[in-house]
Amino acid sequence: MADRPHPSSTTSGPHDGTTFSYIPGDTLAIHPSLTLHREWTDKIDPITYEVIRHNLWNINEELGMTIQRISGSPVAMYAFDLNSSIFTEDGEFIYYGPYQLYMSGVSDVQVKWTLEYRSQNPGIFEDDMFLSNDPWVGAAHQMDVTLLTPVFWDGKLFCWITNVLHQYDVGGITPGSFCPNARDSFDEGILIPPVKIVERGELRRDIEGVYLRASRKPYLVALDLRAQIAGNNTAKRRILGLIRRYGPEVVKGVMRKIIDNAEQAFLQKLAKLPDGVWRERSYVEVAYVGDRKTYQVMLNMQKKGDRLVFDNAGTAPQVGAINTTYSGWRGSIMTAINELLCWDQLYAIGGALRHIEFQPSLGAFTSAAHPASVSTAPVQAMEISLYPAYNTISKLLSGDPELKRDAMCIGGTSQFPLTVFRGIDQWGEKFGYLLLDPMVGAIGAFSFRDGIATGGQVRSPICRIGNVEHNEQSFPLLVLYRRENTDSGGAGKFRGGNSAAVSFIPHGTDGIVQDTESSGAAIPTAPGLMGGYPANTNYYRFKRGTDIQQWLARREIPGDVGEVSGEDVLLQLRQIDIQQGPDDVYEVAFAAGAGYGDPIERDPEAVRKDVYLGDVSAHAARELFRVVLAGEEEDLRVDVTATAALRRQAVVERLGREPKPYAGPRLPLLRHLTDCLDLVKSDGRPWLGCARCGQPLCDAHENYKLHCHRIDRPIQAANTLIGDPRRFIDDDVQFRQFCCPACGGLVENEVCRTADPVLRDIELDVE
Amino acid sequence: MAYIIGIDTGGTFTDCIVMDADGKLTAAKAPSTPDDFSEGVMESLRVAAERLGITIEALLGETARLALGTTVGTNAMLQRRGARVGLITTKGHRDVIHIMRGARGVPGLNNVQVLHFPESGKPDPIVPKPFIAEVSERVDCKGQVVVELNEGEAEQAIRRLVAKGVEAIAICFLWSFKAPEHERRVKQMVERLAPGVFVCCSADLIPRWGEYERTVATVLNAYLGPVMSRYLDRLESRAQAAGLRYPLQVMQCGGGVIPAAESARRAFLTLDSGPVAGVLASQYLGGIIGAKHIIATDMGGTSFDVGLVWDGEPIASYQSVVHQYEYFVPRIDIRSVGSGGGSIIWIDEVSATMRVGPISAGAKPGPACYGRGGTQPTVTDADLVLGYIDPDYFLGGRLRLDLEKARESLGPIATRLGMGLVETASGAVRVVEHQMADLIRKVTVQKGYDPRDCVVFAYGGAGPVHAGVYARELGAQGVVVPLGEICSLWSALGAASADLLHIYEAVDIQSSPFDPARVMSHFVELEAQGLRQLAADGVDMKLARLARSADIRYKGQINEVEVPVAPGPLDAAALASLIGDFHRRYETVYGKGAGFHEARLEIVTYRVRASAVSAKPRIVAAREADREPAREARAGTRPVYWAELGDFDATPVFWGHRLAPSNVIPGPAIIQVPDTTIVVHPWETARMDAYGNVLIDLGGR
Repeated sequence: MADRPHPSSTTSGPHDGTTFSYIPGDTLAIHPSLTLHREWTDKIDPITYEVIRHNLWNINEELGMTIQRISGSPVAMYAFDLNSSIFTEDGEFIYYGPYQLYMSGVSDVQVKWTLEYRSQNPGIFEDDMFLSNDPWVGAAHQMDVTLLTPVFWDGKLFCWITNVLHQYDVGGITPGSFCPNARDSFDEGILIPPVKIVERGELRRDIEGVYLRASRKPYLVALDLRAQIAGNNTAKRRILGLIRRYGPEVVKGVMRKIIDNAEQAFLQKLAKLPDGVWRERSYVEVAYVGDRKTYQVMLNMQKKGDRLVFDNAGTAPQVGAINTTYSGWRGSIMTAINELLCWDQLYAIGGALRHIEFQPSLGAFTSAAHPASVSTAPVQAMEISLYPAYNTISKLLSGDPELKRDAMCIGGTSQFPLTVFRGIDQWGEKFGYLLLDPMVGAIGAFSFRDGIATGGQVRSPICRIGNVEHNEQSFPLLVLYRRENTDSGGAGKFRGGNSAAVSFIPHGTDGIVQDTESSGAAIPTAPGLMGGYPANTNYYRFKRGTDIQQWLARREIPGDVGEVSGEDVLLQLRQIDIQQGPDDVYEVAFAAGAGYGDPIERDPEAVRKDVYLGDVSAHAARELFRVVLAGEEEDLRVDVTATAALRRQAVVERLGREPKPYAGPRLPLLRHLTDCLDLVKSDGRPWLGCARCGQPLCDAHENYKLHCHRIDRPIQAANTLIGDPRRFIDDDVQFRQFCCPACGGLVENEVCRTADPVLRDIELDVE
Repeated sequence: MAYIIGIDTGGTFTDCIVMDADGKLTAAKAPSTPDDFSEGVMESLRVAAERLGITIEALLGETARLALGTTVGTNAMLQRRGARVGLITTKGHRDVIHIMRGARGVPGLNNVQVLHFPESGKPDPIVPKPFIAEVSERVDCKGQVVVELNEGEAEQAIRRLVAKGVEAIAICFLWSFKAPEHERRVKQMVERLAPGVFVCCSADLIPRWGEYERTVATVLNAYLGPVMSRYLDRLESRAQAAGLRYPLQVMQCGGGVIPAAESARRAFLTLDSGPVAGVLASQYLGGIIGAKHIIATDMGGTSFDVGLVWDGEPIASYQSVVHQYEYFVPRIDIRSVGSGGGSIIWIDEVSATMRVGPISAGAKPGPACYGRGGTQPTVTDADLVLGYIDPDYFLGGRLRLDLEKARESLGPIATRLGMGLVETASGAVRVVEHQMADLIRKVTVQKGYDPRDCVVFAYGGAGPVHAGVYARELGAQGVVVPLGEICSLWSALGAASADLLHIYEAVDIQSSPFDPARVMSHFVELEAQGLRQLAADGVDMKLARLARSADIRYKGQINEVEVPVAPGPLDAAALASLIGDFHRRYETVYGKGAGFHEARLEIVTYRVRASAVSAKPRIVAAREADREPAREARAGTRPVYWAELGDFDATPVFWGHRLAPSNVIPGPAIIQVPDTTIVVHPWETARMDAYGNVLIDLGGR
């Protein structure tokens, strides 16, 4: 790797983790000197199975807890930015920890790479451990450092234990190693393909030295490495204990059975679901400082019989500092697969993976080649790889009445709005980090109930944020407010959870310096399902030279940035070196959860409660939900007659005329495809029809949207908190609504650039 | 002063234990009276007096200590019968208690709920947003006032909340633990503008860092305060009218008792005090029988609670969870899982394997064998099928169990697994016993304590049935089943044996090298508070004890470790030894090599435990008897299934209350007492000690 090839100059080559991401083949080339433990029994009574299964889950969970406790870093303690996994001897997933999910998603390829490329030289032996953070081998980004531990029994490689822990800093041009302005990965943290950092039980100081030398925080990285080693050792001891007690063949048999059972569970689900292709389109905005372009992201998911195939064809080429590698893209999608399809098997995704194929497009920015910049992957390209998968899988699940309950709309924060800050803190010391508050997230709506306001991140089920008092102790800030953001969740029959907004001024310092880094600020990245509306966009608000200090002096705290007077400054999505003084007020708001179903079908009483509790504004209640309320506070009530009239009016507005719900005979039902679409039979042919009124729409081989009544609206109409996209990008953005031409009920919405064609989100494979 | 009395008001029964000067115990039970719990308490006292052959007036007149453990607060939480609360917060921070730090209240969820979003969510808010009022005021992290309290807004806020009909007002401002004046001024305004409304502020209750947890605790206190005040006021005046000469004392989650008037102001501290009393009883009994390291396990119908006593002292922690809401308060550590007798046995359809819990059949419908309409098999049903428990002698015969229903409920599971009914029951029991062992591992090994050094105490209805196995799994030294009167009134005994204890804390984050004067000033202030309170409690100052500790961590990290601090003046040398103690303690808890000696340290919290040793019950050893149990202690044999033998065996059954000290019973055997059953597995040996407890030797297997 003497030369630095231009990211797009190579279009073919081996998938070995150098230029192109490592993609393991069906069989691994493992050096014969390494013997794998392959013996197992399937004669295990169900009780022993359950006892060992429970133990393995607990071992993996304890591994994560051990790392968290020993590391003690805010990253580990609050954001739980770590994960742990157990694999079979050849790298098949047994269990995934409940922590930062996509960290585990990138671990199996690292195990397999190590088996293929390290089994001969330097060899894999008992009591060795390998350290790795190379995204082309498998890491999410350079800060997510993986520690891989082979477990041996009787001289044979029995299984693998891995953990991943986000590091404060592994080098690169920006403190914290998130480098929004990187030209390529040579501007970013050190890249380490798997190296043997523990050899026969001894930590190799020379290798550790190379690793720590790259970091601005070598002490913390060293401590975290010890946490990672201790975690894997704990898990290894417990697994060896199980082997000693029950015998290697039994323990291995349980491991196999966990995977086989999960495989069966997965197949039983697939068997209930229709075949076809499901697609989702999304965008990332602004790839580098000064950029105003948008970059299309495509996720195509084909379900055929007992297989799922994912590809990203149609995704823009790698560019600027917005990329992820293949492993990050795949690991992201695995998060959605686990939560929507494998939750009942406690995320034992190994069985499902036997039937899932990932086909990356070479050089797309969600499967980028070396040396693309990838340090922001988890908050950008990986998120935009992950969340659309919730929509494709949820739409697939909608084809079965029982599995539909597992469907979930996209949650917050589908593109993480970074606030990177640095300066001298209130204690006179240098600081530099990022605001973790967007982890407060939001959970999107479900098919039968509302989402969860500030309910965290789906990609990290147990993450949390620190208290305001913790942030103010660590950083020189005075937080003016941190509140749930009214109207931020997508409207719908079931609302998406609201997210939050935070506003602060510097305090105890002359000023701080900030960088922004965001996307999803012009085009919302959480579109809804079944006619549900998108959540808000991320936004920054910044006011310079305000009278905030006078407010405080006269014993008043503003309730909103808008209340203070000063000069409004529009912050761009990748703007660096923003100076903020004590008179400058900053706010950042996070995208929330998307809505499910037509908002005018939401129970008006629920809307009244939303308004009473401050979750929805009276304005949005009227404009989006079409509910008329009277009175205030405890006396707030629904004007039933006026609401009914307004909702009728809404349908007339959609259609431009009175609705005429289909009155003919219902065509014979083959299956409910979604809440809004039925697969029916017309003259012996499969046909699509409106699930509400029964209006036949089109032959099932056609795009139903082209046979719906289409309404094109500005994106601002989708959510009261969405502003003019032109502030950040050159493209126009549309909120397209597709409704039944007869009854006017919403069938689906689309959030897209005006120039983009109508997306064929469902393409059934029917005779 | 002759008597010490412990009382425990539970949901169904109120237990009373009276100890006389000679250590003789008298027990009494009365039905609890949820409309006015004080009636049940007085009734239990009357029953006890009657048993002693004296009047209640004579009893209370001669009582040195009346200590009360109560689940009134816990029940009010469960049934959502607390007060209508208004909350006043710093402007801009109304949503603290709704955001819940951005998780879904995960600390209160089980595994599957954590992983499966559609079936999880945040709890219903204790205070809905319209009942939260914001007031402009601000303090910063150094305790400096940035915005003076806006009293106009405060007055408006109070009037608005009162107009909405609140019965209690909680006040929690940012950084109030550094500068409590704003909170206290608003509290005074509430007292002036809304007399009769219960009011509390966070700085007085729980001056800890972290506004979410502090707000939760303050709101919980306001929610429970009015209920608790009414109850304790009424009870204390009734007891005093009946002759009690000293203030009633109330059990706290911190592991001590405080006077009732004080407890009414700090109602939230009674939450979880029931299980804590169980740990204290273990500590007390352990002190008598010479057990220093104890794993205290309580298995009831719906949950399995574990606490730890190490070196004779209960292990403290700070985390509490109620209804998924988390708050931090110094307390005795208890960990719980939903593995009780009522845990449901089910089949994971895909893998065709058996799972147990976490869903419980609860008390209604309860296990299938209760015959209350439950059809799903539970651990209790499996216990019955195996012959562990006697259908005619469950809860001393108060509830007759239906063996046939138990067998019927397990039938489909057995069929699905292709196993025999008995094998299935045995398997389910094995699964649940392993789950318990796992929880105990979390309490011990994961905190740096080795269970092999410990004795397991087993109590609660289902504990002694399963303790033999989970103790063996952990390699513990043995099992102690407290017996006789003590066992059934375990929590009441815990309250009776508890010391008076007030805990005071201050937060002042300070990096090393520490300034001795600054450290000292905090302890001096906290100790003065403690002594003032003890004096107000009427304590003989010769009995007063002050114990200092500090929570310390590595700078830049989160984990804090509580380290004891020496009494007396502190100089640089004393602080250096404190740092050494921190490193040692840190490595014990987090593992060898986890520490990082080059890093700077931070003291976060200063703490003083001000206590007064209470007169303790003194139980006396009985005279030793024979190894061989007496004939009347034998209840014949019944077939019991032993996994170790792979079959049923005609197993001797004994009446626990007819056993005498020194009696030895080799396993397999069953010992029946009114409230529980002790299962002695093959190769184990049970022995009754001089105090009437059953000790199980695990046989080194």
